[in-house]
Amino acid sequence: MFGYWDALYFVFVFIIGLILAYILDKWAKRSSMGTREVGDGTKIFISGEDPEEVIPGFEHLEGHYTGRNVMWGLTYALKRFFTALKADHTGLLTDYVSYLVIVTAFVMGVLLIWG
Amino acid sequence: MNGEAILPYLIIIPLFGAFSMPIVNLLGRKAREAWAVLISGATLIVGSGIFYSVWDTKEILVYTLGAKSPLGQGVSFPIRIVWEVDLFGAIMVLMVTLVSFLAVLYSLGYMKHDTGLDKYYTLIIILELGMLGIAVTGDLFNFYVFLEIMSIASYALVAFRNDTWEGIEAGIKYMFVGSIASAFVLLGIALLYGQYGTLTMSYLAVKLAESPSVTAKVALALFIAGLLFKSGASPVHMWLADAHPAAPSSISAMLSGLVIKIGGIYALTRILFSIYGASISVKTVGWVIIIFACITLVVGNAMAVIQNDMKRLLAYSSVGQIGYILLGLGIGLAAYGSQTGETAMAGAIYHTFNHALMKALLFLIAGVVIHQLGTRDLNELSGLAKTMPKTTFAFLISAAAIIGMPPLNGFASKWLIYESSAVFNPILGAIAIIGTAFCTAAYVKVLYTFLGRPGESVMKAKDPEGSMMIPIILLTAAIIVMGLFPWQISDKVMIPAAKALENQLAYIGAVLGGA
Repeated sequence: MFGYWDALYFVFVFIIGLILAYILDKWAKRSSMGTREVGDGTKIFISGEDPEEVIPGFEHLEGHYTGRNVMWGLTYALKRFFTALKADHTGLLTDYVSYLVIVTAFVMGVLLIWG
Repeated sequence: MNGEAILPYLIIIPLFGAFSMPIVNLLGRKAREAWAVLISGATLIVGSGIFYSVWDTKEILVYTLGAKSPLGQGVSFPIRIVWEVDLFGAIMVLMVTLVSFLAVLYSLGYMKHDTGLDKYYTLIIILELGMLGIAVTGDLFNFYVFLEIMSIASYALVAFRNDTWEGIEAGIKYMFVGSIASAFVLLGIALLYGQYGTLTMSYLAVKLAESPSVTAKVALALFIAGLLFKSGASPVHMWLADAHPAAPSSISAMLSGLVIKIGGIYALTRILFSIYGASISVKTVGWVIIIFACITLVVGNAMAVIQNDMKRLLAYSSVGQIGYILLGLGIGLAAYGSQTGETAMAGAIYHTFNHALMKALLFLIAGVVIHQLGTRDLNELSGLAKTMPKTTFAFLISAAAIIGMPPLNGFASKWLIYESSAVFNPILGAIAIIGTAFCTAAYVKVLYTFLGRPGESVMKAKDPEGSMMIPIILLTAAIIVMGLFPWQISDKVMIPAAKALENQLAYIGAVLGGA
């Protein structure tokens, strides 16, 4: 409906993208003031956390990036949404059954009126 | 190949294999494992044969139990149990037999330290049998029997590792609330039988079209609610996030990859298209499904983002993906008979198959990680890529595919769903994209963890042994290869399957003939 697509085109585009990225990297390294290959400049910056820093009580996580750091912005921005979702997932069997009954009632109501 | 001649073996082989397992078990561990692989392998061969036969001849296979014709002597209506396989059913058969075979193969290495494995292999084959029965049956009560066979095997397998509280609690919850959902389905069947006096799906379709009734609508509501539960649609998805992570990973792969599709999506689709069809307001039912689909794909994918337990994240992701399949199904109904509806339905069928492969692979990978490190806490899995490169590569492929990244198989099916939802109602297309944004966030989180700096515990890990690696390699290859031929698969298999599903008259005619 939206025209033509073919998986192979994406492979080609991906390869061209890789080549472009490589050329861009080479060009940037040559024309910049100099890329830091050692020291602090090579550290990956994630949400302001220093990977070398040891947080008391969390020694076992020392320097390990976890996905939580990466998605920090998203989870913080949607904190209220996620809190509401979490609160809804109580793990109580009675809640599971209640939802099943509510869904049944809703579907039955809709079908009897408009079905 | 004569599909009708081999159809009964699809049930006979696993049935025989499952119940002979305790006897074979007496011969020792090797015999038990060889038997399980042999049975699931033979079922895969029969399943592939049936798929090829239906796809090649473009005819619906009909098999009557105990007689040549489903019609009674001297009467013009069917009285016997009928198995009826169209292209949609055949795709499901292929999907179930393929993933089950790979799960059994994987279990050889993954479960070798467990005890009670004769029961495990018996249950896994019974689970496969139940799913195959649902895919082939053309009789409503027979469908319920297979649904229960599948469900009870699932409950037992979720609680298989009974040395921890997690499996037992999840198993009990799943069993309790799952039984209520099954009871709703049974009540729906009882209402239809009481009203129309038949259980044969095709004949029931004729009766429903002749005299639609309020009873039929009540029965439909019970079917929809019960089967939405079985498919893990939100807000009745919460059992899934308990049950799927608690099961052994080979079983999680089958539960997330197959059980929720066959016991939920397939059954719902079959009832809506082949039994009810035009006898109800397809637009209303379609929109009901669409509403649940939108809630499901946002809630499932969003909940996946905030999980730190790898298997729980995958379970929520399954809920999210079910949302896409339901969206395709809902639009397929609401736009019944149009090209948009057909594309949406083809996308739903395609994504059902693709998701079975992707999610099975993801759970098998999670199993490998647990096997090596004994944890599924993402905070402790940093840097796995260094020590388990093959496993990480397989994860990268499956995660990219499930997000819908080209040129992998998930892209093709999701595209069809996006395309049709954007044409049908752009707001639905936007909601689908929001779901994908959450899905991407969830998988990037895991990937980033895998590619992070390795911790001490991770340094001891290594890629798994052959029996666990082979299913992973096969599934990864399938995802890549299927992604390279999206048009061909869509045009030659999925669109014809959607067309066959919409052709209710052909489904009825295959059993009733000229009667």
